[in-house]
This record gives sequence, structure tokens and C-alpha cells, in this order.
Amino acid sequence: MASQNKPKLLWLQSITCNGNTHSFLNHPDLFFILSHFEVVHHPVLDSSYSMEDVIAGIVPCDILILEGSFQEEGFLKSGVEVSSIIKHYANKAKHIISVGTCATFGGIFKQKNPEAISGFCFNAEEKTERYNAYASKLISLPGCPMHPKWLSYVLLMISGKKDIPIDNLHRPVELYGYTVHMGCTRNEYFEWKIDTKTFGLKEGCLFYETGCRGPYTRGSCNKILWNDINSKTRAGTPCFGCTEPNYPQESFFETKTNMGIPDKMPLGVSKRAYLTLTSVAKSFTIKRFSERLMEYDK
Amino acid sequence: MNNITVKKLIEKIEGEAELDFTFNQGEIEDVKINFGFYRGIEEILRGHDAWDALVITPRVCGICNHAHLLAAVRAIENGYENSGLKVNLTSKAKAIREFTLSCELIQNHIKWLYMTIFPHFEKFVGAVSEENYAMKATYLASTITKALAVFSGQWPHASYAIPGGVTCDPTHLDVMQAQSLVDESIKFFEEVVIGLSIDDYLAMESVSSFDKIQGDFGKLLRLMIVNDMGNKGYSHDRFIVFGESVLSKPGRSIITNVTNVDISCVIENEQKGTVSKAVTYKDKFYEVGPLARGMVAKTPIVRSLHKRFKDSVLSRVFARIHEVALLLDYSKSLLNKLQLDEPSCVLKSDVRLTDFDGIGTVEAARGSLIHKTTVRDGVITNYDIITPTQWNLGNSKAVDQGIAIEAMIGSSSIEEATFIFRTFDVCSVCTTQ
Repeated sequence: MASQNKPKLLWLQSITCNGNTHSFLNHPDLFFILSHFEVVHHPVLDSSYSMEDVIAGIVPCDILILEGSFQEEGFLKSGVEVSSIIKHYANKAKHIISVGTCATFGGIFKQKNPEAISGFCFNAEEKTERYNAYASKLISLPGCPMHPKWLSYVLLMISGKKDIPIDNLHRPVELYGYTVHMGCTRNEYFEWKIDTKTFGLKEGCLFYETGCRGPYTRGSCNKILWNDINSKTRAGTPCFGCTEPNYPQESFFETKTNMGIPDKMPLGVSKRAYLTLTSVAKSFTIKRFSERLMEYDK
Repeated sequence: MNNITVKKLIEKIEGEAELDFTFNQGEIEDVKINFGFYRGIEEILRGHDAWDALVITPRVCGICNHAHLLAAVRAIENGYENSGLKVNLTSKAKAIREFTLSCELIQNHIKWLYMTIFPHFEKFVGAVSEENYAMKATYLASTITKALAVFSGQWPHASYAIPGGVTCDPTHLDVMQAQSLVDESIKFFEEVVIGLSIDDYLAMESVSSFDKIQGDFGKLLRLMIVNDMGNKGYSHDRFIVFGESVLSKPGRSIITNVTNVDISCVIENEQKGTVSKAVTYKDKFYEVGPLARGMVAKTPIVRSLHKRFKDSVLSRVFARIHEVALLLDYSKSLLNKLQLDEPSCVLKSDVRLTDFDGIGTVEAARGSLIHKTTVRDGVITNYDIITPTQWNLGNSKAVDQGIAIEAMIGSSSIEEATFIFRTFDVCSVCTTQ
């Protein structure tokens, strides 16, 4: 048990639903990944220090995993402000990983009190006053929740002493360089501008009418599948943009349109480019796309 | 005058709670349960599109998010019906929803067995083993949530149930994948958890056959009986169920006498010193959860256990793990009967009512979950969520002790009382929302 040589991992929760905790428990190689670390504290797994030790500030910490939205005042554990506990360990840690959109940008719980609640280093897309102090060691893993393999990638890169390339919001580019749209099984329908007629069909794209935010949301949900098996869009559910700094927005199951054109364009695509392509694509009627993918008993 | 109050922070319960124990002559005389932080999901929902509840309410809880999704969709469908639009789900959509909910209950119960009950009970009785219980928990939990995700796209936090049905359109290939994941889960349950075949297990109807149960569950039951857990943790022996499910019909049971329930008799009350609200039915506290379902449904083995051990720790623990067997068996039969040629969703995506009031009830892992939505001009004007843990973990009122508090009163140590507390499958995040 050479645990004293292993990096010490502290998983700390703030204003949260525990979704990231349970998401990570689904990782198929969970115990192999954790074997690289000493888990000094975790919200549900057995760990070497108690919550009371964590609050007392006596727990060693090399890697701090933060889950949940941040509030400077008014959220206490055992009479101690959670914000002060977080800052104490954030100062100690060599790496800070914000898991989930709440810890990263503020997320759903920010909506309760947008003036007071935010992410730890970002408030939606804006940097918080804490950003400069922690930027050099910060990795962002937004998602509601984050995918378990996104976290294992970061943890194993850290334990292997490798540099993690990140973007301006500190998201690893290997995970967030993709859009959720990439790899979706409905891509052909997107190309030919054919929306699904109704929910509950495997045919048709969900972008044009039924609210899908996949083409302008960063995340690898259709590259690294959920539960190793599926994704929201493959299961016919629109992408809700849950990795984005402005999540949650409104009307998740409807596409806001202006004169029949989606309000928000695919990432980096100009309205002109979009309209040009649309008018060409729509000028053809392709029989295959109006039929079911498979017919039984015919 | 001899009263001493001791404060204790309880952790690893989907968040934390603070318990104030009042001792009198070496026995716990009273307990106050305090949950720390109110997140305000109900307030966040106000002003949102009616369907946004399908995305936002699962974020009440990382471990029972799917139950919240189903309560939310049922509340909208109930509202549509109240406004004249009858929603007749296909048998396929119904079966898929029941399947995914069953998977969520299984992952919850098995995590509770291995990550809450085993480690804390072994610590409490001084019989700590070197087993990696968490590995067993996560193996079965991640296998069964994979089967869930075949239909829902992901777990946690899917929103695949929508008014009129489900968004997925599974193929036979998908169903086969889910079937083999369920079979793998059953194999694990048989070999590791109960040490006998699930059919033999489910054929048992009386406590007298307890000896047949082997595996980890058998080991736990024996350790509990030796440590007198059949005589600890008695509460009021009052149980209530609101959701309709394979596990139970709605009803309430008072000392084995089962009668009907009327949801309009449910009252939420603010409590001093904690942000959670207590819930009562006709001014009385009722226990919800697996033991309640077993008692209301008159499940033979649960009734047999109750006859001997009443609403003790042993009965409470047994009833929850027993549900894993029932649900694994049920999940398998749901998949076998799935009619893939039926529509997944019976409402067109542009069918939206703008004014309605609806109630959705679901039997979640910890008991009855109720969502109430009020929608005007397409926008949520009020949303009310009553979670199972609010029933079980409410603080006492003048006339009636809270369910978990009654169970802890009389304990001689904090260790014993906090273990009793954990047998209710405490969830801090649900209780405070």
C-alpha cells in the first residue's frame, strides 16, 4: 500500500444534485482509475477522511474535484461556509477539476439566485474574481452531468504527468473540440434538412423544429457514448446544450425560429452559408429520406 | 434535567444532514433532523415552458432523477386529461417507461445495500470485512443503468419520456442488448447477492425459508438477526403508497389493515430550523418506501417478516433488497412482451395545451414521489414537488413523532441511531430540493 506516494484526491460538493458523483460511478474502469490515487474524501465512496476532517481543513489534497454551484455566503456545512472550505483546498491543490456545468459555469442552480450563485471560476462565460488565483491549475468539465470518461481522461492525464490541452474556458480540447452533433446517427437528415415528423421516430433530425442544440453545443456525447451504449439524440431526445455556459435556457423541446429559420446557427456557420445550403438541399426531394429506415414484414 | 444534546453530522447520504440527539438517562429521547441547503427547483421552474420540467426536475437528484422525469411527464399528461385531451399511451411506451424506472430502482437499492448498509452496519457491530463492496455495487448498478440507457439515451439525467410516450424508437437489436444486460444483472444477483436462483428466491413466502438465502444478502440477514435488528427501529407501523406500480397499488396500511388513499389529504408543512418541509396525511406521519409497498401490496414474505419483526430495521432492509429480485424479474418480462410495432409516442410534437393543472405520482426508490404543475399560457406558474424522504424524515410535531425519529427514539447510542437513520435510505438532496 504505497498510498502515501499517490496523488491525494478530494471530491468536494457544493450546491449540487450529486449527478456527477453518480455519473462517475458508472465508469466501467472505476477502480482501476481510482487505484492511481488516494481518495482522501468522496461524497459516497469509502474514504480515508471524514467530512468533519474536511471541514476542519486537515485533509491533504493534490487534486480537488469540485461538484456543484458556488455561493460566497449562506451555504454552510456544520456552521462553516462551504465557500471557505473550497478556497482552502483550492489553494492547497495542484489541480482543480470542476465537474459538471454547475461547478464550471453556475448551471441550473444559478437560476435560483443569479446574482449570488455561479461557477467557481466562471459565471456563465465571464471570469469570476477567483479566476486569476486558480486559472493555472483549472480544468473545466461542464455537462449536466459530465460524462464519466471525460473525468477519467483528465485524471489519467494528470497521473501520467501529461499536459492537457485546453480552450479559453479551460475545457480539454480532446473532449470539447467536437460538437454534440458530430457522430449523431441522424446526421444525414440534418444534411438534407429533414426534421423528424414527431417524437418517437429513429428517422429525422431534431434540429429544425424539435429543439436540438447539438450543432452548436460543445461535447463528445456522440463520440464517447453514454453508458457506453447511447446518446440523447440517438434515443430521439434533443440535445439541451447542457455543457454550455448559458445552460439552462428555455423551451428545450422546441426550436426557436425566425421566418422559418432556426434562430441559432450551427457552430461557426454564417446565416448566409446556412441559407445557401438549405435552399439547395431543399430543392431536391429524396425518396429514401421520406421512408422508414427499415420496414418489417414487407 | 438530565438531558444532554449531541450534534452529529451524517455524511454520504446524497449530501449531509445534521442530527441533534437528546439523551435522557442513556437513551435517546428526541432527535431533530436538519438539512442544510435549499436549492429552489420549484422556484426555478416558474416562468419556464411547461415541458421544461422534463429537463429541470430530474436535477433534483442524481440518484433518482428518472423518477422525477416520470413524475413530471405524468403531471403534464394528467393536466392534459383534466383539460380534455385524453392521452392513451401505447403498451410499448408504458412498458419502456416501467422498464427504465425499474432499472433506476435496482441501481439505487443495490448501491444502498453495498455502499450504505454493509459498510455502516459492519462498522457499527464491529465486524468490518476487507471486501470492496463498492465494486459490487457499481458493477451491478452500471450494468443495469446501461440497459436503461438503451431506451433513455443516458443515465443519469435523461429526458426521454415526453407527453404521449417516449422519444426512443428501439429495434429488436436494442431490445436484445437490454435483455442481455438484464440477464447479466440477474446472474450477478443470483451468484453474489442471494446465492440461489431468482425463481427459488421468489418462490419463498415465509420467514421460515430465510435459511435458503445465501450470498451477501444471506450474510447480512444473519448478522442482523444476531445483532437483534428485528427488535430495533420500530416506527409507527403506518405506511402509505400513492403511485401505481407493479410493486404495489396505492393505499395505506395501519397495523396490516389496508385502505384507500386520497391525494388531496396530503399536506406539506414548513419546519423550524431546517429547509425541508414535512409531509403528513390527515395530520399523521406515514412511512413510504419498499416496506410500505410490501405492506400495502400484502407481499407474502414481507407480511410474514412483519408478523414476526414488525416495522423493524430488519423488515425495512429486507423489503428494499426484496424489491431488487421483484424488479429484475419484472424487467425481464417487460422486455419479452415489448410490442415494437406500436408507436412510441401518440401525440404530435406540436400538440401543446397551454392551460392545465396536473398531478403526477411515481413510486421512486425511496417511496411515493408527487409532482404538481400549474400551467397558464404555456408557462409554469406553480410547481410543487413532494419527495419520499420528506415523508420519512420529517421532524416531530406536537401530536406525532416523525417516522425516522420514532425509529431512533429509545436507542442507547448515536452509532445505533445513525445506522437506523440510514436504513431509511436517506437522500439529503431530495429532501431539500
